Amino acid sequence: MVLAKSAELRVGRVLEKITRALAFCGGFILAVIALVTVASIIGRFFLFAGLGPIKGDYEIVEMGSAIAIFAFMPFAQFKRAHVVVDIFTMRLPQRVQIFLGFVGDSLIALASGVIVWRFWLGLAEKIPYGSDALRSALSMGYKPFFAETTYELSVPIWIPYSFAFVGAVLLFITSLYTVWRSLNWTLEGREYQP
Amino acid sequence: MTGLEIAIIAFVLMLLAIFVRVPIAIAMGMAGFFGMWAFLGKTAPTLGLLKTLGYDTFSSYSLSIVPLFLLMGQFATKSGMSAALFEAASDWLGHRKGGIAMAAVGGCAGFGAVCGSSLATASTMGQVALPEMRARGYSDALSTGVLAAGGTLGILIPPSVILVIYAMLAEQNIVKLFMAAMVPGLLAALGYMVTVAIYVRVRPDSAGTAPRVPYKKRFKTLVKVWPVVVIFGLVIGGIAGDWNWARPGIQALFSPTEGAAVGAVAAGAYGVMTGGLNWRGFLDSVLSAANATAMIFLIILGAQVFNSFLATTQAPQQLAEWILGQGFRPYIVLAIMLIFYLVFGCIMDSLSMILLTIPIFLPIIEVLDFGMNAEDTALWFGILALIVVEVGLITPPVGMNLFIINSMAKDIPMVKTYQGVFPFVLSDLLRVVVLVAFPGITLWLVGVMF
Repeated sequence: MVLAKSAELRVGRVLEKITRALAFCGGFILAVIALVTVASIIGRFFLFAGLGPIKGDYEIVEMGSAIAIFAFMPFAQFKRAHVVVDIFTMRLPQRVQIFLGFVGDSLIALASGVIVWRFWLGLAEKIPYGSDALRSALSMGYKPFFAETTYELSVPIWIPYSFAFVGAVLLFITSLYTVWRSLNWTLEGREYQP
Repeated sequence: MTGLEIAIIAFVLMLLAIFVRVPIAIAMGMAGFFGMWAFLGKTAPTLGLLKTLGYDTFSSYSLSIVPLFLLMGQFATKSGMSAALFEAASDWLGHRKGGIAMAAVGGCAGFGAVCGSSLATASTMGQVALPEMRARGYSDALSTGVLAAGGTLGILIPPSVILVIYAMLAEQNIVKLFMAAMVPGLLAALGYMVTVAIYVRVRPDSAGTAPRVPYKKRFKTLVKVWPVVVIFGLVIGGIAGDWNWARPGIQALFSPTEGAAVGAVAAGAYGVMTGGLNWRGFLDSVLSAANATAMIFLIILGAQVFNSFLATTQAPQQLAEWILGQGFRPYIVLAIMLIFYLVFGCIMDSLSMILLTIPIFLPIIEVLDFGMNAEDTALWFGILALIVVEVGLITPPVGMNLFIINSMAKDIPMVKTYQGVFPFVLSDLLRVVVLVAFPGITLWLVGVMF
């Protein structure tokens, strides 16, 4: 008795593709951060030749790493990469162990739900758009008086927040899926390597 | 209930949750959330904190070193540096009794200089050194044991991901921590080589010898390790070197984060040059670095919630005052902490332990008198903690390095690996005692440079 196993597998294949693609995006952002930083160092080094550091390189690193790390989260959850201690549960019956995996996935889903919910409120406080009616419908709180921006590049902070938010939302979706998946594993009495 | 009592209960419940396979990050976060609720009677402060905590933590400039170093390590893995390092080391040491095992240690030390992770070092060097040792008639125990132990050099020798985290928690200078780790790291490599030498004298049948290699070839293979030297020199020299003597103090070429970016780009460029890092390899590296990064940062996030709870209750300070009031001898307290790390290291990963314990242990260490100033004490304690948590990687039952090496040679029973690593664990313990007794070994290089 399992819950819509074939649908679960199908959703899993699609989600794996999406989360992997997002992880690659994060990886490219990371590579770009590294390249921008190196370019900036070279520019700074050749100050005498008229070159210079890239403006706001620190901010690019900060924004980029936040977006990249959020983008890494869903794939890691799909692959169950998060650290657990299983030494004390190894002697338990197989099915109990799989059930504990299900509990772990559920707690991650719960936590990522809280993260997305709070992140949305934090993000909404920074978005200076939307009518009062729309904002209250989306529980976005009061419209900020002006858009908070980064120090050097004057990037409105809600923009990198939004990109990072994509990762958080996909993490929540993925973790809901992993709950479904590990529930099926528990019912089947078998665990698979994702 | 007082804050200290609530904190202790939360801590115990968190450990129980961790022991029943709740992901460590989630256990920390929940303990922090519910602990704060119990202490303040409301959830609003934590919920308010969570609005920006994720973004703020992940966008931290100093923490962005972590994914960059991980990427650098992955690129280095793909670029064939490990093979060059091992070849050079075995040309120089291979003809001695147990020489290939010593060479594996040397290779690990060299690879540790471009890689900040122990597991990556163990698996990369294992791939090149394990077949060679087995072909030369080294015993199963010695060849797997030495590689598992050598892998820990990945994190002892800078760059080191755990030291970056420690620097954040202890509010210490990351460059000084790297410098402080340098001599103990080299000492570790030396200790492992001596251990091999003793091992093969006690058990002469456990190792063979390779033919002596002429000096001409030795220098030829030695030259081939230049990329490691260049990248290490660039990264560590750039962040710790003094590039403008005209001005007082250390005028570094770039910040640690920039150094990590330089290292990643240099390792990547070298990988592309040698052809080891093709498009597929690049995507592989990215995914491995991505998973490791996600894992680490989720734990950091959970630990942030837990630590903000601890800070609110003031429990670490109360505990520190209580310990001071009891008049315990500082070295006894330190010894208890280190033993705690050794015991828990057997069951928990090193990063989680550091994140969990440093906010509690460091305030205690800071009020005790070790005859050093606060900064030196924090640097010294950081290196000691790093070493003892890394011992956990090579102690049964849960030593990740042991698993990694053992999984490469499926025919070797796990028990053999446990036996083989035992002398190296002893060497680690001996080194910890020496470093505790002589803080000067750790602090010497920092003192010379700064």
